Amino acid sequence: MTRSERITIAVLWVFAGFVFVLLYGPAVLVATLSFFDMDRGQIAWGSFSLTHYESLLENKSILAALGNTLMVAFTAVVIATILALGLAYYMRTGQRRGRAYVEFIIFLPFVLPAIITGISLLVAFREVGVDRGLTTVAIGHIVVVIAIIYRMVMVRLEALETSQLEASADLGATQFQTFRLVVVPQLASAMVTGALLAFTISFDETLVTFFLAGSDPTLPLRLWAMMRVGFSPEINALVTIVLLGTMVLATLGALSLRRSIAKERA
Amino acid sequence: MMRWSLVRLAVYGIPTVLILCPMGLFLLSSFWSMSGNKMSHSWTLANYRAFFANASYWGIYLQTIKLAGIVALFGLASGYIVAYLIWRQRGPLRYMLLLFSVIPLAMNYIVKIYAMRGILGFNGVLNSALVWSGLLAKPSTMFVFNQTAVLITMAVIYLPFAILPIFLSLERIPHSLVEASADLGAPPGQTFRRVVLPLSLPGSVVGGLFVMVLSLGDFLTPQMVGGSQGFTFGRAIWSQFGMAFNWPFGAALAVMLLLAIAVILAAARLLTRYRSVS
Repeated sequence: MTRSERITIAVLWVFAGFVFVLLYGPAVLVATLSFFDMDRGQIAWGSFSLTHYESLLENKSILAALGNTLMVAFTAVVIATILALGLAYYMRTGQRRGRAYVEFIIFLPFVLPAIITGISLLVAFREVGVDRGLTTVAIGHIVVVIAIIYRMVMVRLEALETSQLEASADLGATQFQTFRLVVVPQLASAMVTGALLAFTISFDETLVTFFLAGSDPTLPLRLWAMMRVGFSPEINALVTIVLLGTMVLATLGALSLRRSIAKERA
Repeated sequence: MMRWSLVRLAVYGIPTVLILCPMGLFLLSSFWSMSGNKMSHSWTLANYRAFFANASYWGIYLQTIKLAGIVALFGLASGYIVAYLIWRQRGPLRYMLLLFSVIPLAMNYIVKIYAMRGILGFNGVLNSALVWSGLLAKPSTMFVFNQTAVLITMAVIYLPFAILPIFLSLERIPHSLVEASADLGAPPGQTFRRVVLPLSLPGSVVGGLFVMVLSLGDFLTPQMVGGSQGFTFGRAIWSQFGMAFNWPFGAALAVMLLLAIAVILAAARLLTRYRSVS
């Protein structure tokens, strides 16, 4: 490497460092603020405590919103995983003319901005006469996450050799037995990865949820409502917990993704 | 036989009912009108006429496209630098850096806006830092509740969405090409300019276009950090579903947004095709 190239790379690293500060700075700042009191716009460094976390535990509306979010995410992920698994398996077994059609449709909410998906579902629910509530939110989340689980499962299914399915059929297994005893065990890691990613997405989903939620807010909507009132150390504490939670989830997802890739290579 | 046709019905029916039908209804509803507090199904072009007749909607439309374009350019440029540096690494460091650039994707969106507001505000961290360092005599209003604030916030929030696709398009370059270039005596700089950059650029631009689509449709970031100055088209659409309560007009505005996105996605598709040819 020449001298000028080494300098260029060094400058790029400095820039990349700046980018990482941009990406993590806001989160670190909020987490720091959650442990201190504010005194006329300045951090009172002497006031380190966990009081903001304690008052959070007594806040019923936040706990309720957290409960709503977990319930919605769990329901949506379970249903979307079953749907995605069924779709992918159907498309994999045999030449399906409709495959392009189905994949185009389920990837639409993934490619288009959330505002379009949100408005579409809102108009549809209104026309059918369904009132907004946690059920409509859960349906919206299914629509949002189904593509990612489908993709994960499909990649794994395509790596699966057709001869395995044929061998199983030759040995007298019914289609359901082949599915349960040959396919599902090999799909488990892809499904777990997809479900984890989907859970993270659903947990954070805000833009579609905004159009579909009734009077019961999910956690991001509750956060939004609190934020409009202004800053408070309590929000910082809540935000820190949410950040930690999602980061743990994302790391688990990434690790499981890596494991399933490693398995594929082996 | 009966069972298989049921399965087929479910496979094609569920995605259609769940996704395609609502989107069709949304397109149709942009031709409806409001009577009193309800949508009436009488056909009209009035919503589109209202959009084309009103210069302020046009203005916001174009301004938002420009805003999203700048956000995408920033994402492309800085995302490329970060992705390239990660791609050059080998071993555990590479995986760690990649993980660290992906984790922000999982950070709650509202939380990021909230944090950015604390940084950009009049008494925020950025102003305090600038005053403290002596660059500014007193806090500036340059990035408080205006388009600049929206731009900076979106750029930070959507940047991680660019890093991953750019990294993947670098990863797709066969390693043998890079080695061949080095074997033939090209210094790393030349290899980068003649081999790595041309091969990874189409995929990277697709990543940038993805960021553009995301920022075009965003309505909460401008709502939260934009104030009255930072009005965007996404906010205009959203307000029709909230306070203004004119869903058909809101749907028509959203269709206009969809048109812009269709153009962007078509460009992305062309680029991916070009890449698979080369």
